[in-house]
Amino acid sequence: MKDLRSYLTVSRWIDNVNRYYRLAESEWKGRLEVLRTFCDRAGKDPDAVIAAAVGEKGVKVDFMRMSKQIAKEMTADARAAHDWDGVIRSFFIHNGARVVVRPYDDD
Amino acid sequence: MEFLEVCGLRRSIRIFDRKKPVDRRRVQRILEVVRTATTCPGNLQPWRAIVIEQDKLSSADRKTLLAADNYQAAHAQAPVWIYWCADTDAARPEAFRARVHELIDVGAMPTFYGWTHETVDGSILRGEVAPEGMANIEQIIHGMPREVSAMIARQETVGACSVAVLAAVNEGLGTCLHSCAGVDKVEDVRRVLGIPESWDAVWVQLVGHPLEEIEAGGQRPRLPFERLFSEGRYGTPFPRDAKVVEELKKEGLIRAATPKPGRFEELMRIGRELGYPI
Repeated sequence: MKDLRSYLTVSRWIDNVNRYYRLAESEWKGRLEVLRTFCDRAGKDPDAVIAAAVGEKGVKVDFMRMSKQIAKEMTADARAAHDWDGVIRSFFIHNGARVVVRPYDDD
Repeated sequence: MEFLEVCGLRRSIRIFDRKKPVDRRRVQRILEVVRTATTCPGNLQPWRAIVIEQDKLSSADRKTLLAADNYQAAHAQAPVWIYWCADTDAARPEAFRARVHELIDVGAMPTFYGWTHETVDGSILRGEVAPEGMANIEQIIHGMPREVSAMIARQETVGACSVAVLAAVNEGLGTCLHSCAGVDKVEDVRRVLGIPESWDAVWVQLVGHPLEEIEAGGQRPRLPFERLFSEGRYGTPFPRDAKVVEELKKEGLIRAATPKPGRFEELMRIGRELGYPI
């Protein structure tokens, strides 16, 4: 996979989030690592992930399940896993894929 | 709190402190303000409310009510939900008649304008033309279709909601009006709340302590004064006096507009704390 920032969906995500919240570059680095892990597991690049997710509800639901599963594998800490999954949800949200969001204590 | 300050601080709060309960006294005070201060033609008072403390709901009922509002985050957070309903029976001609008789008997409607039991009965029951000086109630109320009663009950309940949100602000609480239910979920809400046949659920008022600061980022964008208000006839704006504006700034009505400095930092901090995806 090429540099993630070169994908349209990734640049849109970064631009949208930074328009309001201006995250530090170091945070983006970590977020892109999360996204890369997710995309590797999905076997698709970011643009292809979004195209599939907005095209069919079932695919999107499967992606969300997969995100939660990977998050659990990445860390034993429930809060950290929730936040890991939140990065993927943010990527989906800012690319027009409607996903459920819940606070940590209502997860 | 002073009235103008209450009006100036009114916001739709969208982030509530889920863990901080609302004192029941404050809820009663909101209801008392609505009961006392809300105006309505014929003193019908067709508004009704069902107060819910979400922690007292069964998990299934909580889910049903939240699902009806598309699981909106603010709804899930606010500890108290006040379901404002319109009682359409309370806006039927016989209700108008009873309420107006009562107003006449307590001296609220002067008989020297023509308001008597006889004129009211003649207009409402028999469609007789009301004498000049009175409202033309024969046109509005005599033979009024049920749909019109429902419309009146709903619109007056919306008015009650406007009073209710100001009352909540006056209590130092955060509040926001939400739709009770999507079209396909209305019956679910009716079932959980046991809403009578003649009532319509109009708005659910969320009440709680704001997790965002009380200004919630500042006053929301408003359409230009001159575009909203005319004088004499449409197209002639009511002139806005800058001195009055300055007075109202000093009195707390007109405040800094959103986004105040630091608003997005505040949202990011809260979003992170709660675990929402930034």
